[in-house]
Amino acid sequence: MNTSARWLGLFAWLLPLVLFAVGPVVLLLARGAGAPGALGWEWLASEAGALGNTLAISGGAAVLALALGMPLSLLLFRTDLPLRGAFTVLFTLPSAIPAFIWGMGWLSLASPRAGYLNRLLGEGTLDIHGPVGIAFVEGLSGLPLVLLAGAAALRRVDPALEEAARVCGASPARALLTTTVPLVLPSLLSGAVMVFLMAASSFGVPYLLGVSASPPTRVLTTRIYELVLLGDEGLGRASALALALLLLTPLSLLATWALGRSGRVRLSTGKGLASRPLTLGRARAWVTGGVAGTCVLLVLLPLAAILLTSLQRSFGASLTWEELTLSHWSGVLLEPRTLRATGLSLLLAAGAGTLVCGLGLAAALLQRAFHRLGAGVEAIAVWPYAVPGTVLALALLLAFSRDWRFILLDKVAFVLALAHTPWLLLIAYAAKYLALGTRNSSEALAQLDPSLTEAARISGAGPLRAFVDVPLPLLRPALTVAFILAFLSCATEITMSVLLVPAGSEVLGKLLFDLQSYADPAAAAVLACAFVALVVLGQAVLALVARRAAEVR
Amino acid sequence: MAAISLEGLFKSYGATPVVRGLSLEVRDGELVSLLGPSGCGKTTTLRMLAGLEHPDTGVIRIGGETVAGPGVRVPPERRGLGMVFQGYAVWPHRSVEENVAYPLSLRRMPKSEVATKVREALRQVRMEALATRRPHELSGGQLQRVALARALVASPRVLLLDEPLSNLDAALREELRAELAALRARLGTTLVFVTHDQGEALALSDRIAVMNQGVLEQVDAPETLYREPATPFVAGFVGGANVLTGEVREGAFHTAQSGTVFQLPADTLARPGPATLVVRPEDLTLGEQGTSLPLSARLFLGHAAEYRFPVDGTLLRVVAPPLEVRPGQTLKVQLRKARLFSVG
Repeated sequence: MNTSARWLGLFAWLLPLVLFAVGPVVLLLARGAGAPGALGWEWLASEAGALGNTLAISGGAAVLALALGMPLSLLLFRTDLPLRGAFTVLFTLPSAIPAFIWGMGWLSLASPRAGYLNRLLGEGTLDIHGPVGIAFVEGLSGLPLVLLAGAAALRRVDPALEEAARVCGASPARALLTTTVPLVLPSLLSGAVMVFLMAASSFGVPYLLGVSASPPTRVLTTRIYELVLLGDEGLGRASALALALLLLTPLSLLATWALGRSGRVRLSTGKGLASRPLTLGRARAWVTGGVAGTCVLLVLLPLAAILLTSLQRSFGASLTWEELTLSHWSGVLLEPRTLRATGLSLLLAAGAGTLVCGLGLAAALLQRAFHRLGAGVEAIAVWPYAVPGTVLALALLLAFSRDWRFILLDKVAFVLALAHTPWLLLIAYAAKYLALGTRNSSEALAQLDPSLTEAARISGAGPLRAFVDVPLPLLRPALTVAFILAFLSCATEITMSVLLVPAGSEVLGKLLFDLQSYADPAAAAVLACAFVALVVLGQAVLALVARRAAEVR
Repeated sequence: MAAISLEGLFKSYGATPVVRGLSLEVRDGELVSLLGPSGCGKTTTLRMLAGLEHPDTGVIRIGGETVAGPGVRVPPERRGLGMVFQGYAVWPHRSVEENVAYPLSLRRMPKSEVATKVREALRQVRMEALATRRPHELSGGQLQRVALARALVASPRVLLLDEPLSNLDAALREELRAELAALRARLGTTLVFVTHDQGEALALSDRIAVMNQGVLEQVDAPETLYREPATPFVAGFVGGANVLTGEVREGAFHTAQSGTVFQLPADTLARPGPATLVVRPEDLTLGEQGTSLPLSARLFLGHAAEYRFPVDGTLLRVVAPPLEVRPGQTLKVQLRKARLFSVG
């Protein structure tokens, strides 16, 4: 690429990002930073409870995910546990399905009076409402983050290290605990920090389980939502809370960085170090039973509860065959409102997926074209992913609440009227999930030998033709994966959908949220089942794409 | 087929100069190798010739046409070249045939003609039986042949080869080297060949251009290069010669650090003063006369043995018939033939 084309490309890529993601968030932060001065500090003190709750709940979720994730990752990726593949798939499901749906599942299981578990154990034994319940659900839905971080680290630990401990006289279990576990601990901890961040920026679960609790549990995200609903007077306060929420991201990333440093562990970078799995011996049956039981309780039971709720004539009615009905299913799935929402959601998800792939590929290419500036390009592309959905949505809401008129030579050249249109949602989706496109393309591009493209040039292809003929088909599997991931994330997105959906139109995430919060839990359960089916289907396609890509290489 | 002319090429990456004032003429139909250690600028030179890099200054002409120079930058696709890359760069998403047909399909050739030419190119590299295979089903040597067929298929004016044999094992390298020689005799294309392996360069080339730190040290036919190296570097790199610095006084060479004295053979052209002594391992003898040196190691080579003596911080290597000696013993070393390069 020659120099002027590079800069032109960078500018063309940067313009929409600055205009639609970076700019609005910076404006929001500026507004938030000015708010305490304008509104007085006493007001801020009154929100301390929400901040405290956010920290406590996120911390609890991170601890739970770590406590479950550490033994599970060792069992799944380092021992001869039977059915490891199936367990791995099931235990990674919590991240693929929106946390809100897990919240619904646990609400069906453990709401104080009508929850299925409480009917077995006696009314009021369990209560999923309140901070502990929220932390529990968030921790479970973050579990795969710890699990996958552990799996990646375990794959990179040189098995010779453990063998060296064995030769020194350690028993298999002791060798595992004294060499491998300390080596993968930093990775597990960084996974836990991600759970903390995810929990802090989550909106659906705290709303579902917090607002109707007595006393209500408020966190930053739900407070922001309440303040936004107040209209203009609440926006200043909401901005200030958004600023506080956004500050958690750099702080936690700093913590991860510090953890990585204090560990000072360098894992081997070579791949394919398949180590012999630890044999569980006589404990195998017990351990298998324990893992299977955990899996049933934490993953399958909530999903089953949702399914049951969707089939019950009314939630809370006695559980008999006569009370089961498919009326909710036909009622919800065939209703014009659902169909409209599905149509718009799929359209938006496809649009956002395309944007994510296009802009993500462009980011990866620019990253390569600019040696030093490349890191900055990646940072800008990945950064919106770390911005909580509530904050991003609020920023877009504020920035585009009025029309922007671009005036050229005293004439209105172009009007940007996005307020109350689905376009705003498209922008939010694309910005939020751009990281998926960027990461997937840049990883695939890094594995691509530049001489492949050069060979096409020498063969007589111009720059564009060479790109279309060689790197593009080779990047297709990675782009397909990015598209599917972005599509699924957008189609099942709830937080930003709730805040940004214009009056008069509907998307799936918002519909699910409204049905569950204000209308009919059974109808919501039907929709949740459809979500789960969509996610499972998507994951199956992903697995297929991955297998096909592996065959070619 | 075309002659190549490189004039005063300079190229640097950031502050690091890679090629510094390189000029080279390659005649029509000639095979010239660029030989040198890694980082000497040979691959960069080849890439500039291919159009994948642009020289900071200097002019490149192919067949009389200026392809790079002040205000001129002909892109690689319009230079009419064939190139074999070090890692072969065979496209993994295309079959063997599709790889080879690509340069022709870009030239909008009729399908039947493409098929004929592809078959012919594959036959030349003895790959016609594997035409429908996918690259991941092929071995390194086979990939190499596909890359070669793809480079040849469009009858390029010049064929460029970037270390084409370095990723292969020894036996395969030997085989492909012979094939390359036969192929080139048939084609008569101008060939530029980058290698760091002096044996490869000596065996295949019409002329060898030895590069060191971005500068061309010597361009000559292999035999001339071997017999009459123009610089100590060429002598050291091509002939594997010992290189010592020191001073010539009264018909003898005194090394710079330890002052070890070597008597020079009578026919050596020796001007008194600072000089570099270049002597091949086989031009040293062990016997009754000469400089006494302690033996540090003896390596058995089969037909002979290599003896190593520490001199001035390096090892003086001598290749001589196997003797019953042990490290630590002192032996007498005599120069039979040597070259001297005056310093300054």
